[in-house]
Amino acid sequence: MSNKFYTVPLFLTIFSIIVIGISLQLDTSPEMIVGDSMQARSFPIFLMVLMLVLIAVLTLQYKTNNPEPIKLEKFPTWGSMGLFLIFYLLTVYTDMFIGIFVVMLLMGLLWGEKRIWLSFLTATLTPLLIFLLFDFVLKIRFPRGILMDMYYG
Amino acid sequence: MFEQGLMAMLSVATDPYLLFLIFVTTILGVVIGVLPGLGATTGAALLLPFTLTMDPVHAIAVLATIYVSATFAGSITAILINTPGTSAAAATTFDGYPLAQKGEAGRALGIAVISSTVGGVFSVIVLCFAAPLLARVAYEFRSPEYFALTVFGLSMLASISAGGAVKNLIGGIFGVWLSTIGAERVTGIERFMFGNYELYEGIHFVPIFIGLFAISELLVQSKTVNKIVNTVSMKAVKLPTKEDYKKIWKTILRSCGIGTFIGVLPAEGATVASMIGYSEARRWSKNKEEFGKGSIEGIAGAEAANNSATGGAMVPTMVLGIPGSGTTAIILVGLMVHGLRPGVYLFTEQVEKVYQIFGSMFFANIMFMLMGLYAARLFARVSLVPTAILWPIVFGLSVIGAYAFQGQLLDVWLALIFGVIGFFARRHGFSVAPIAVGLILGEMVETNLQHSLKMFDGAWWMIFTQPLALMFLIFAFLGLCGPYIYSLIMKRK
Repeated sequence: MSNKFYTVPLFLTIFSIIVIGISLQLDTSPEMIVGDSMQARSFPIFLMVLMLVLIAVLTLQYKTNNPEPIKLEKFPTWGSMGLFLIFYLLTVYTDMFIGIFVVMLLMGLLWGEKRIWLSFLTATLTPLLIFLLFDFVLKIRFPRGILMDMYYG
Repeated sequence: MFEQGLMAMLSVATDPYLLFLIFVTTILGVVIGVLPGLGATTGAALLLPFTLTMDPVHAIAVLATIYVSATFAGSITAILINTPGTSAAAATTFDGYPLAQKGEAGRALGIAVISSTVGGVFSVIVLCFAAPLLARVAYEFRSPEYFALTVFGLSMLASISAGGAVKNLIGGIFGVWLSTIGAERVTGIERFMFGNYELYEGIHFVPIFIGLFAISELLVQSKTVNKIVNTVSMKAVKLPTKEDYKKIWKTILRSCGIGTFIGVLPAEGATVASMIGYSEARRWSKNKEEFGKGSIEGIAGAEAANNSATGGAMVPTMVLGIPGSGTTAIILVGLMVHGLRPGVYLFTEQVEKVYQIFGSMFFANIMFMLMGLYAARLFARVSLVPTAILWPIVFGLSVIGAYAFQGQLLDVWLALIFGVIGFFARRHGFSVAPIAVGLILGEMVETNLQHSLKMFDGAWWMIFTQPLALMFLIFAFLGLCGPYIYSLIMKRK
């Protein structure tokens, strides 16, 4: 088995141990409230112990089945994740709709769309139409930002 | 009650707005179904926020229509471009595409349309009769029975979709853990909130589902950029001939039974149903050698089974609150968001609404049949929309949909984070559906366990003394360990 396959069980084990650690630090309730039931920490700990058992079985399965290695994704996949980060920054510091427009436009280009006008049109029309639908029909207010401040006043 | 229900079902035909909604949603469902990667679950997750301001019946009718029409539509691309629009149509490619390559794409689609419609209508009829009966049985359930039932539902995750039993169970447990985030319901102790008070009432399903199903699919699809698709040309959809009907009617009926039964089982869905429907069609066929080369029995077996699973899957969803698949998990969320609590109450206090939903599913089946027969060619062209245009649109819809649900940006970040988590999970062979089902069942498991412990003064073993609870726990044990025990016995023999 390739060492890479240990990363999944290892990651899950670390996650489970961290959850157990946090759970053990949770407050306990007085007996008169909990009674014969269980403390708030008990259920997550029980779940994580169960998960650790399953991780052990999964590791054994990996050892016996020797799965094929996973190919590393190409740039569009990692680039798209990077765009999520750009979306976060644009939403926080400018406006959610600017974030959506920029990410939609860049995503189209990143994925190989050569007709820039088409990507531009999609990136402009989609958020606009969705905004109109949500604002007029569903009466939903969007978060404040450069554009929304201008719109809401 | 049944008469009252029947009248409510028929009332759908006299509600022009509802019929219009079903019509529009059927078109949308078929478009979603033919677009590789989108599928019923992603479509329902994206549409859920749009249904928030609708009347409960209309909202659930929209989601149920997406479910049935997208499940059917997956077969269009399965037959014409050898790419199943949904995983439930994977078995349709085995014979649909070979038949299309022989120049009989219209005939293959005609058989798929008729088989799907019969399967869908059959399962709605079963739903109408079975759901109230099961609700009557569920009336006797108390906390220990519900706890055992949810454990059974979680154990069935072992066999849900792809991924393998252990990975699915790990996903399910992760989902259940997610449900513990927020203030604990009995003591009010904050769990895993890290000072984020927007999470006080727990992590909500909608942004998580949008992330797990839509955003993660977007990242998966980014791997298929520049993929070349070979299409098969087709003039028009042909209805099956008398000879065809003679050959497939038994297969359709068999697959209807199989599909509905598998759909009813908690956490089983249309994909499993279509695979079993296909293999049973092959097993009982007199022309086994035709399978894989364009057998019409193969197409009918797979298509009748996957569409009949849709109605079947609605039974545990509406009666017990246990979803049968990723899509029914979203429908369940839709029910809860609109104040329709699944269970006995729904069938005693809200009979009309329940049967109107059933009626909507019936009409959705009829509408997708008409669209399949007359517009399949047109819809097939939709599948050729460039991914570089389609998926950025999905991104826009996902982000706004996640925000619109509660009007908080945290939900948008959660959708993106869970999209990335879902992508990495899928990259390593974990399915995301068990996480979604686990998240829904999590609260039920913990709450019913707490109530059971209180009922029995902390004596947890008393749960095993309740006959129904014991039965569900035995089923859960058999579901988890049965295959291993069986293979051990076979090895010894």
